[in-house]
Amino acid sequence: MTLSPSESISVSQLEKKFGKFVAVNKITFSVKKGEIFGFLGSNGSGKSTTIRMLCGIITPTSGTGMVAGYDITTQTEEIKQSIGYMSQKFSLYEDLTPYENVRFYLGIYNVPQDQWPQRIDWILNMTHLQDVRHRLTRELPPGWRQRLALGCALLHRPQILFLDEPTSGVDPVTRQHFWSFIRRLAADGVTVFVTTHYMDEALFCERLVMINAGSIVASGSPSEIIAQACPDKPDADLNDAFVSLMKRMPD
Amino acid sequence: MNSLRLKAIVQKEFYHLIRDYRSLYLAFAIPLILIILFGYALSLDVDHIKTVVIDYDKSWQSRDFTTKLNASPYFDVVAELDSSRQVADYIDHDRASVAIHIPPDFMKNVRADREAQMQIIIDGSDPIFAGAVRGYLTAFAELYNSKLLLSFLNRQGQATIKTPVEGRIRIWFNEDLESRNFIIPGIIAIIIMIVGAMLTSLVIAREYEDGTMETIKSLPVHAGELLLGKSIPYFFIGLANVLIAMLLGQLLFGIVLKGNFWLMLIATSLYLICALSLGLFISSVTKSQLIANQAAIMFTYLPSLLLSNFVFPIINMPQALQWITYVVPARYYIDILVGLYLRDTGLTYLGPNMIVLGVMCVVMTGLNYVLLKKEGL
Repeated sequence: MTLSPSESISVSQLEKKFGKFVAVNKITFSVKKGEIFGFLGSNGSGKSTTIRMLCGIITPTSGTGMVAGYDITTQTEEIKQSIGYMSQKFSLYEDLTPYENVRFYLGIYNVPQDQWPQRIDWILNMTHLQDVRHRLTRELPPGWRQRLALGCALLHRPQILFLDEPTSGVDPVTRQHFWSFIRRLAADGVTVFVTTHYMDEALFCERLVMINAGSIVASGSPSEIIAQACPDKPDADLNDAFVSLMKRMPD
Repeated sequence: MNSLRLKAIVQKEFYHLIRDYRSLYLAFAIPLILIILFGYALSLDVDHIKTVVIDYDKSWQSRDFTTKLNASPYFDVVAELDSSRQVADYIDHDRASVAIHIPPDFMKNVRADREAQMQIIIDGSDPIFAGAVRGYLTAFAELYNSKLLLSFLNRQGQATIKTPVEGRIRIWFNEDLESRNFIIPGIIAIIIMIVGAMLTSLVIAREYEDGTMETIKSLPVHAGELLLGKSIPYFFIGLANVLIAMLLGQLLFGIVLKGNFWLMLIATSLYLICALSLGLFISSVTKSQLIANQAAIMFTYLPSLLLSNFVFPIINMPQALQWITYVVPARYYIDILVGLYLRDTGLTYLGPNMIVLGVMCVVMTGLNYVLLKKEGL
């Protein structure tokens, strides 16, 4: 399997079983470079399992997939080096300061040490954490910790950013800031793959895939999905579409 | 293995350690407490045994026996009772552990060349202690007998008579038979297990509990880098602990390492790696700090204390237990330490033990590596 030059993620017939339970049931989709791609589904629908396969954390049972030009079954190491991943829990070391967290990520991503001072400044300025760089992370408000987690995931300038429910537990103002930042990233050519429960956030995505019980139930732009899911309701929104799609059992 | 990544992990673990300074305190308080506790309180030596005498004979001979008994360092005659009915009271209240009952006619029998019996009652509630007391008393009675015999013969004019066989016992390697000399190597083995395995048993479980394991899995971190990076800080803490224990053993108890220091260091490092990988193994399997901690006590501390020849001799254990002791690293390490501390043995004797420890290190590390690989690292 290869990626076309315009694609940054492409999976085909991707399947993951845990024993007899089918978590992800032979899904096929692709994501374009620089796209904000939304991956929606209710809890337990297979979202996280898919993201973990794409990030090289778990191996698929069958099917193929390419991420950032690398095979998700054999080149997980290269994938991990070229993506950024921020999961729903803020995934930072809370007993370390922002400065120490950033240095940890720089070391893990093998960024040459002569670039460290400028990268540290770049990320701490971008996330507005310069003043609290030596405070313990656990003492920072959730919104700030989330910015730090995002900053850490971007330190090595990845081609693709995976965000697994990045804004859960964060106030609306912070979420708004967060999304304007994400849009700037995408404009710079970073592919953003995001899962969310907030339908207003899903509207920021150029394309969406909805997954229910491990199978894809709809895909397309937000307006296409609304039209597909609720053809007889002209004033339906994405929320209605989501509820209607999650109710239907996949074939 | 990438040095920048390894350094990042070591540094992170070091920060965890200094931020959670309580566990760091514990890491250094444990050796102090153990040395003092085991060194002073747990003496396996039996002496100054509280003894009561019920002397119905009240003769010169019976008094002589009592006086000589009291003069020995092993027995303290705490009371002379009038009636044997008081004995139970003394033993029940722990005021005496041995009662010696000298019947009337004791001296008369001795003089008349008849068997002069005396009854000895030993508190058997601690069998190891009772066994030692019985040994001492038998030896004491024998010595007393031979002196009686000699003086009798001397009075008969055979002044030159000598005891036919006299075993001159010289104990090697622990000349004073001080159990403390054996305890220090044992404590060092226990300290390494506690500090090494108990602290590392938390480190992978903590990543799972905090959700940071998911982050680690998403980062380009190798299983080997994570294992090594998490071990290095604890390795040095463990070594520091051993040095503290050695120093305290020397300062407080005058127990000096007779053997080669570098051999000691190599053996200690091997054993320490065993302890660390055991802790990491428990941590990876349980994924919970609470369970990991309990499992560490179950599977590392207790076997090291009970199945290592430290407190209970392996030779006296049932066969099944003896087989289990073969997989207890402390068994080999204590053997090495006793060799180095008391006998100054060289590599030829210690070599096989070192090889066993080395193999254990390799097996445990391999196991940990496979476990983390399966997790997606």
